[in-house]
Amino acid sequence: MPRTQPNRITLTIDGREIEADEGTMLVDAAREGDVEIPVFCYEPKLGEPVGACRMCLVEIEGIPKLQTSCSTPVRDGMVVHTRTDQVKEAQESVVEFLLVNHPLDCPVCDKGGECPLQDISMGWGPDRNRMVDQKRHFEKPVPLSPLVAIDRERCILCYRCVRFSQEVSEDEQLQLLERGDATFVGTFDDRPYIAPFQGNITELCPVGALTSYTYRFRARPWDIEQGGSVCTLCPSQCNVSFTVRDEQVARVLARDNPEVDDGWLCDKGRYAFQAMYADDRVLGPEVTSDGHSTPASWQEAEETAAEGLASAGSRTAILVGDASNEEGYLLQRILRQALGSGDIDSRRGPGVDGDAALKLADPAISAQTSDIDTADLVIVVGTDPIQSAPSFDLRVRKAVRRNGTALAVASDRPGALEGGATEVVRFPPGGAPAFLEELAGKVKRGRAKTGLAGLIADSEQTVIVWGERIVQGAGGRAAVEALVELSEAAGLADQEGSGLIGIPDNANGRGLREVGCLPDAGPGLSPTGPGRDAGAIREGLESGELEAVVLFGVDPIRDLPDPEGWRRALEAAGHVVAFSLARNESTEFADVLLPLESHAEKDGTVTHPDGRIQRVRPSARRPGEVRPVWQVLTELAAMLGSSTGITSTPEALEAVASAVPFYAGLTDSEIGGRGVRWQERPAAKDLGTPSPDLTLYATAPGPFSPLGSGAAGLEADEASVLEPASGVGRSHTDSSGGTTPPSSVSDLPTPKDGQLLLGTYPNLWADQVVESSPALRFLVPAQRLEISGPDATRLGLSTGDEVSVRSGEESVNARVAVRAAMPEGACFLIEGTPADNGNRVAGEDGGPTLVEIGPPEVRLELVTSGGGPEGDEAA
Amino acid sequence: MNFEIQETRILLRHAEDPKLATIEGYRSYGGYETLQRALKDMEPDEIVNELEESGLRGRGGAGFSMGKKVSFLPRGEQTKYLCCNADESEPGAFKDRELMQRNPHQLIEGIAIASYAAGAGHAFIFIRGEYEAQADVLDRAIAEAYDAGFLGEDILGSGFDLELVVYRGAGAYICGEETALLDALEGKRGNPRLKPPFPAVQGLYGQPTLINNVETLSNVSHIVANGAEWFRSFGTEQSPGTKVVSVSGRVRRPGNYEVQLGVPTGGLVMDLAGGPPGDHKVKAFYPGGSSSPVLTPEGLDLPYSFEAMAEAGSMLGSGSIIVADDTVSIPHMALRTARFYHHESCGKCTPCREGTNWTVKMLERVVRGEATPMELDIITSVQDNIVGHCLCVLGDSMAMPVSAMVRKFRDEFEQVIAEAALESVPVTGGNGNGAPTEVPALTEMLERDPLQGRPVPAGEQRVGAEGDDA
Repeated sequence: MPRTQPNRITLTIDGREIEADEGTMLVDAAREGDVEIPVFCYEPKLGEPVGACRMCLVEIEGIPKLQTSCSTPVRDGMVVHTRTDQVKEAQESVVEFLLVNHPLDCPVCDKGGECPLQDISMGWGPDRNRMVDQKRHFEKPVPLSPLVAIDRERCILCYRCVRFSQEVSEDEQLQLLERGDATFVGTFDDRPYIAPFQGNITELCPVGALTSYTYRFRARPWDIEQGGSVCTLCPSQCNVSFTVRDEQVARVLARDNPEVDDGWLCDKGRYAFQAMYADDRVLGPEVTSDGHSTPASWQEAEETAAEGLASAGSRTAILVGDASNEEGYLLQRILRQALGSGDIDSRRGPGVDGDAALKLADPAISAQTSDIDTADLVIVVGTDPIQSAPSFDLRVRKAVRRNGTALAVASDRPGALEGGATEVVRFPPGGAPAFLEELAGKVKRGRAKTGLAGLIADSEQTVIVWGERIVQGAGGRAAVEALVELSEAAGLADQEGSGLIGIPDNANGRGLREVGCLPDAGPGLSPTGPGRDAGAIREGLESGELEAVVLFGVDPIRDLPDPEGWRRALEAAGHVVAFSLARNESTEFADVLLPLESHAEKDGTVTHPDGRIQRVRPSARRPGEVRPVWQVLTELAAMLGSSTGITSTPEALEAVASAVPFYAGLTDSEIGGRGVRWQERPAAKDLGTPSPDLTLYATAPGPFSPLGSGAAGLEADEASVLEPASGVGRSHTDSSGGTTPPSSVSDLPTPKDGQLLLGTYPNLWADQVVESSPALRFLVPAQRLEISGPDATRLGLSTGDEVSVRSGEESVNARVAVRAAMPEGACFLIEGTPADNGNRVAGEDGGPTLVEIGPPEVRLELVTSGGGPEGDEAA
Repeated sequence: MNFEIQETRILLRHAEDPKLATIEGYRSYGGYETLQRALKDMEPDEIVNELEESGLRGRGGAGFSMGKKVSFLPRGEQTKYLCCNADESEPGAFKDRELMQRNPHQLIEGIAIASYAAGAGHAFIFIRGEYEAQADVLDRAIAEAYDAGFLGEDILGSGFDLELVVYRGAGAYICGEETALLDALEGKRGNPRLKPPFPAVQGLYGQPTLINNVETLSNVSHIVANGAEWFRSFGTEQSPGTKVVSVSGRVRRPGNYEVQLGVPTGGLVMDLAGGPPGDHKVKAFYPGGSSSPVLTPEGLDLPYSFEAMAEAGSMLGSGSIIVADDTVSIPHMALRTARFYHHESCGKCTPCREGTNWTVKMLERVVRGEATPMELDIITSVQDNIVGHCLCVLGDSMAMPVSAMVRKFRDEFEQVIAEAALESVPVTGGNGNGAPTEVPALTEMLERDPLQGRPVPAGEQRVGAEGDDA
């Protein structure tokens, strides 16, 4: 269903004429006309109004009884009074009723000063209290969950938190128990409320009944400042507002942006700010000499870094993880222009290469996030948004619940969205390409009436949300082709509001690709000679073909496949420059360790999975010696002999905008507080135009040479003709170059007796920032092996058993979790857990591999507090 | 005054015959003939017209035209439901119980005809959990009706299908509110929904739903059998038909009496029910269940009809008269009434949740002698603040009678306060500084049960009186 333009109508509120969209709720229409009608329970984000608090009663001419303006749609010619005696009386009485059982403990209440109940009592309440009887009492505060405290005496039973739990996050844990004035919010059997979006209820609560333990008694509204920014802990890039006290982040709030996050924030985004002030944070530059890392001045550190990089020259590689567009751009520029290397990667495995990214970026087949709301059909392929990009999970649920959108989920691992899906397709780990090929074929033939292909045929607006990992590994190239083919066959380009949204593995994965952090594409996805990808960089370092490596916001020993290989690679590397927010196993190998800014301190831009360029704005003070990283990078570039001329963040953005043709002309003010999708700007037509920057790199010394300019340069086949940089000969590089034919499911390894096909998946909580945030530590996952019931029976396993999962030389211990809906013959481990990291047994490039399940390995674990990365190591 | 009147039995006809509850007994009096005729000879719209013209008003309390309600349902092929509201929970009302128990097939036939008229393929009888015996009777009767082919697929070869299910509620007054009933039937917490959308448009599982009371549906077969004209020959212009009236309280012969609407109210109270025992006089009475504003003895002269009761500032409601004679203390009756609604308030909307609770607290102080006459003004003002401000009518159901009692019997309230104050030994002494008074039993109880996160029982608390109340 494409969005329809509603009629504009005119109504009169308190004597003024107000224009509004027909069907808007009266309370919203009034606000548009500068008339405030007080509300408690009304929150359109929660769905249909419930009319429970009765605060918004108004008089409508022609209707004898007062009406709730939260549930009355406006009609043309409606005459409304909000300040007559009758209405005032009703408003005062509702406030009086609400205060009958409210403790009025404002002096000790965290909400004091930012409390709707206070504000509305002042504005619309009676000036005295006639209630002299005993109020109701509860034990207070009690933990509703490890993150949220509940004070049931303050609760005014507005239903918001319960509706959130029931109708938005759909975890359905919060309930109203008992009835009448004995009603209270709780969970079944007093169990803790454990759900990934629970922090939102503290923001929804219009009184001080639900408070975050992280913020209780930390600040008063007059102590704090709010700073709007973007959370860059996952690709959702939710808009946030940092509450800053004494120049430190004290709280993170959602900043409503209907095009991005709908005003919700996951608990990682809300509570992981604690990692900014954790003990493991890198607070200043350090230089390692004689095996000892010692604090150094910025100049000394930068000089040491530059010296090492200069001497390695084109034998330098860069790995990028969490970085802004500006940082990513500068990194690839240093590498390509100053060092003459093209070995840069920002991905987990070889997946969306430059050519594929270019095809998939076509605005005609791109959807924007809010298209999900109105789609007839949403297909989620190869990603479980709750783990990879949580706000998409809420977005899809909303479409299904409120718009009646049909949902199809196709994945190897059973995901959270399947409960509401019309169609669920399960393929084995690594089976996505085959599935997509088959689906594209079916849709193309156009005969299907049933199943997913039938749904696609019936849909007039289809949004396909796909995870970057389906295009990784052996069949990746085929998957990209199939995605494009599927969009063509389904006619997404011709349907309004239809298209693809790719969820990258990295928070700014899309931005980094587009500014040139790919081995085969520079800024603007302009093809360059193929460089080494992450896996090849690892091999190059290990074999000595590569001399130096820059790690930027990435911990390869944890985040990437083959951690042991990475350990060997970093050990072998002659020069390791690590930019990192916090200390981790990889930074142990750093010759120069440089601190990164957190997302509350950074100034820069990031690109949302749907192409929306958003601005990350500094809100808090950089702790210790931390400096703006773009500055450090420009200084490094200058030391390496390629001055960028960038002296400020607007200039950094300008440099990105002029290097990426389809970002041309972008400025901070255009991005503003809500961001701007590049597909909607005139410069979008320059997608595919080679970056003017390529000429800069052309003059660079070394084996690296850019491809010719013009449209011909975009042909993948030609790109593959170029010999890869010396020594790079891995099969996947060839396949990403497009010479190997698309693989299909038959290429997947076949399990033999006792073997299972292992897939790995990211877990929202398997992340260093979670471990470094005391509030979230309880969520850090222990490794678990998910298997199907029949396999469990065959192997004699049941949930809770401890086993080892072995692939070749490597093995990890895990607890068995038998799950329904699992594909038989497959099993799953979590990537990046602090102990027993699933990456250790993952296949090449993180793809599927065959594993054997055995008894747990007995290990002498190093005793560490909180299961740090060392816990991983076998002693 | 002489109030002699006669019963007019249509719904309770043959009620004395125990065989009526069986399908043979019911059919021996011509039962299910109307259904056969309706399915064979009548179009659904004809039945809807007949019902509309009959002027049959809902017997559950609101008195809305049943025919209109059916006509609000959209026509067409979508799934529609019919719900029979048998959650008779209003204090004083027990007519549906008798109708279901004595003549279940009359209801089933009415449901079948109404479902046919409304195009509903599924019907539910939502019966309050406490009506176990009646639910059993219905279950038996429905089984008989299925066996006889009056329910199920392709009823009597007409092509019309109807599944009828008895759903036993868990015993909450609020589930008698039609939208709360729907939520409860869907397996949710029984809370009223916001209207609009009305159930006729978006009801059970979001589909158009017709909800009617037991007595209303029991009338259907008679109207369809005999025609609207016949029905209108009973009762008044605006309240046609007969009504089964439950009379209870201080009367000699409490029970259900079926009379034509419009008979003198005194006839029901003084003649059929026999008036108060002994020489006692009627002091006040609820004309339409405990949610109707009480009337004084002058009200006995009023015709018992929807319009006359509304004009007198009260309502006919479900047609349940509760009589208080001169032995009854009105303030205690007010407290009893308020307590019921406080206990049954679902807690969803503010005025009802807090208003019922506050009113009970104030009335408790009245009867304990701890209130001042000034607080009677606060009580009435609180009732005024509840009326018309709530999500459903439960709040009004307490506020209207309580307010009427305080206004009409204010002297008695003042007298009760004064007398109780003289007798009372303060229960909640304290030292005047808000320090708690030791109540050993309670303290012990609180210590025994940590009550984590649970409401602390009403009464004296460990924490003293709140300083910020004043």
